Amino acid sequence: MASRELSRSVWRAFGSLGSRSRPQCERTAQRAQMCIHPRSSRCISSTVARTAEVAEETQEPFSAAPEIDFDNEDGGATGGRKGGKNILRTLRVVPASPSYFSAKPTFTDDFLSLSALLRKVATLPTIPPAEAPKVAWKTIDQYRIMTNEPVKTQRFHKMLHILRRLNCIHPALMPDEVVQAMLRYKKANQPGDVKPKPGIIDELGRAKGVGRRKTSSAVAWLVEGEGEVIINGKSLSQFFGRLHHRESAVWALKATQRLDKYNLFALVQGGGSTGQAEALTLAVAKALLVHEPALKPALRRAGCVTRDPRKVERKKPGHVKARKMPTWVKR
Amino acid sequence: MPPSTCLRSFSRLSIDVTAQTSIAQRLGRPQVALFTTSATRHATAPKRKGMTAAPKKGVKSLNTKKSRKAAAMDTGKRPAQGERKALRKRIVLSNNNALEVSSLKNLSKDNVLSEQNEGKVMGLPEEEVVDALRAVDAFKATQGWGLFRRPAVLMRKEAIQLAKLLREVEGSRTGQQKKTIRRILSGERMSGKSTLLLQGLSMGFLRDWFVISLPEAQDIVNAHTEYAPLPNSNPTQYTQDTYTANLLQQIQKANSRFLESTKLSTKPMLDIPLKPNATLKELVAVGTANPEASWPVFVALWNELSQPGRPSIMLAIDGLSHAMRNSEYLSAEVKPIHAHDLTLIRHFVDHLSGQKKLPNGGIVLAATSKSNSPTSAALDFCVEVAEARQNAPDNIPQWNPYKNVDARVMETLKDLNTDSTDLDVIRVGGLTKNEARAIMEYYAESGLLRHTVNEGFVSEKWSLAGMGNIGELERTSVRLRI
Repeated sequence: MASRELSRSVWRAFGSLGSRSRPQCERTAQRAQMCIHPRSSRCISSTVARTAEVAEETQEPFSAAPEIDFDNEDGGATGGRKGGKNILRTLRVVPASPSYFSAKPTFTDDFLSLSALLRKVATLPTIPPAEAPKVAWKTIDQYRIMTNEPVKTQRFHKMLHILRRLNCIHPALMPDEVVQAMLRYKKANQPGDVKPKPGIIDELGRAKGVGRRKTSSAVAWLVEGEGEVIINGKSLSQFFGRLHHRESAVWALKATQRLDKYNLFALVQGGGSTGQAEALTLAVAKALLVHEPALKPALRRAGCVTRDPRKVERKKPGHVKARKMPTWVKR
Repeated sequence: MPPSTCLRSFSRLSIDVTAQTSIAQRLGRPQVALFTTSATRHATAPKRKGMTAAPKKGVKSLNTKKSRKAAAMDTGKRPAQGERKALRKRIVLSNNNALEVSSLKNLSKDNVLSEQNEGKVMGLPEEEVVDALRAVDAFKATQGWGLFRRPAVLMRKEAIQLAKLLREVEGSRTGQQKKTIRRILSGERMSGKSTLLLQGLSMGFLRDWFVISLPEAQDIVNAHTEYAPLPNSNPTQYTQDTYTANLLQQIQKANSRFLESTKLSTKPMLDIPLKPNATLKELVAVGTANPEASWPVFVALWNELSQPGRPSIMLAIDGLSHAMRNSEYLSAEVKPIHAHDLTLIRHFVDHLSGQKKLPNGGIVLAATSKSNSPTSAALDFCVEVAEARQNAPDNIPQWNPYKNVDARVMETLKDLNTDSTDLDVIRVGGLTKNEARAIMEYYAESGLLRHTVNEGFVSEKWSLAGMGNIGELERTSVRLRI
């Protein structure tokens, strides 16, 4: 049954070869093959196979079967249609990849090549995984889209396991071959790619920091001094009536015992007093990090480094507020 | 007189029962117990449930509990008249639970003006100063006197500045007249302006000056006391007899030693006869007893004080901006009366503006307020200019021409805009860190602050209190303990 199916598809392939004009580049032929075969092998997928975009970046190292030379093989001697049939009888199309007949050829190829690579470099010294460079690998969904194959999660994780092991090779001895191979499985953007510009202390000794919270935004400048604070031209006690707000405005300095080492002046706008005070927390912490980058862990423990992303939730149609529903009425 | 029902019962107590029953039958009343004074109450038949008419359609018959409760709650005892106000205005000057500070030294006549005191907390002597200050209402309910064992003040930089002024007045013996120095205290809210005024008054008391203090300008202008036009005055001025009588009483209590020991040297023109050779105390007592004569008595007292050989005068007012605008009083033409047309304010303002001098020398002190101050653009501008003159002489603000100018106030305070140093502003700013440390150690020794007072703690509180604002410092370290 299967063999009959195959022979039919080979027939069709041959027919398409014959109908095309001769001078064709190898790649289009390849693509034609790729287009046809999965369609016949798939059972119940109604979606159109998406190859167009992905094929560009994921060029498989295929080498097609050599061309059929009708003249050399006894075609010229007998001639006519009968001779062609003889050739076809002896014709055997060999797929480029040995895993061509498996369900997930690309994935199998990838897995095998990575395994082979690992076997090759297994003896190289490694570093513990915690010290290995941080890499964002492609997610399984991205990989599925890339290969256009229904890769199972577990298999994919096995492959990731190999990749992580490869990543643990000592960076000084990392072969170029491995680097190139891993490139295929990395995301386009890696962590640490975008590095913020390092803050600078200007000629007057000021370090600037910007912070936001809710709808407030604050800019703080920190200079060395003895603990004077001026916000929007007012003193801390004039600007914030609540003691809690005053403390949270200078919390970054207070938590690191730097309140009497720096003078602070800041501009705040937008939002209410809580938002302004907590926007100042972030701004002051960032400005302090410019002066003393080593304080980052301490500031993170004090909760001054991370921007609080919460905002007022929008009102939705059909709701009284963001989530509240109108009172239920029987009729 | 016994109630009528009682009498009726008596009348029915006759032997003739038949007559009584006949009356009862005739009146259609049921038989009642004879000798009772309480009214008869018939048991009413219990209403059957569900017999009430159905609520009308479309009418809400919502029976909220609130209205029923309000009727039931109305049985509490009301506070007596004036009780709440008395509680609100009560001045508490000691706290028996606070610890005694052993190192606290008292201010005295000798050391009150010395510069050695700078940055120290000094106690106010009980018998001489505290009573007098209490008599002139210098303590305010909002100040934290009730937290400590006894009243004490921090001799901050500005207080030393004030002490220097007192010494300057006392030391000036050039020519006939002694010096008159006029100062306006300005600064942030809770920065200690009223307390500095109090310190000035206590210095005056200790140095045996004659102290006249108008404790709150608002009380003079807010039309809570009676007023009357002053005869033979043009433009019309208004006296406040009750207030002036009260002020005379305060003056008498605060300066009793001087008043008792001094005899009249002039002959005051008063309607009420004074015995010859009377003391000033008797003069003041006349004004206190007869409010309608209080203003002439005040004028006579002032004349006495202007005689040579009398002590220097400390003239003080708190809440100056109330005195720099229209008062709440209305004239006969239903026009607002300017505060400067009230005789007491006029008297003060004449001396503040330098129009009149204090013949025996003295200090005129006026404290502004930031929490209870109606807008007085002219005063604010003049103070701003004077502060700019002290700090940044090349950047002096200009009058905004779109603001209404109160010409009388501008005229009064025009000395602030000139280079003369007689009228000036004392900027009451934040404490220095040393002063903050001194006061915080005092808090700690009083047992109000349970924390070791070290440099880090002091500077942290100093920053949180808005760069050493003393009121905020007290709030953050003593009152808002968690």
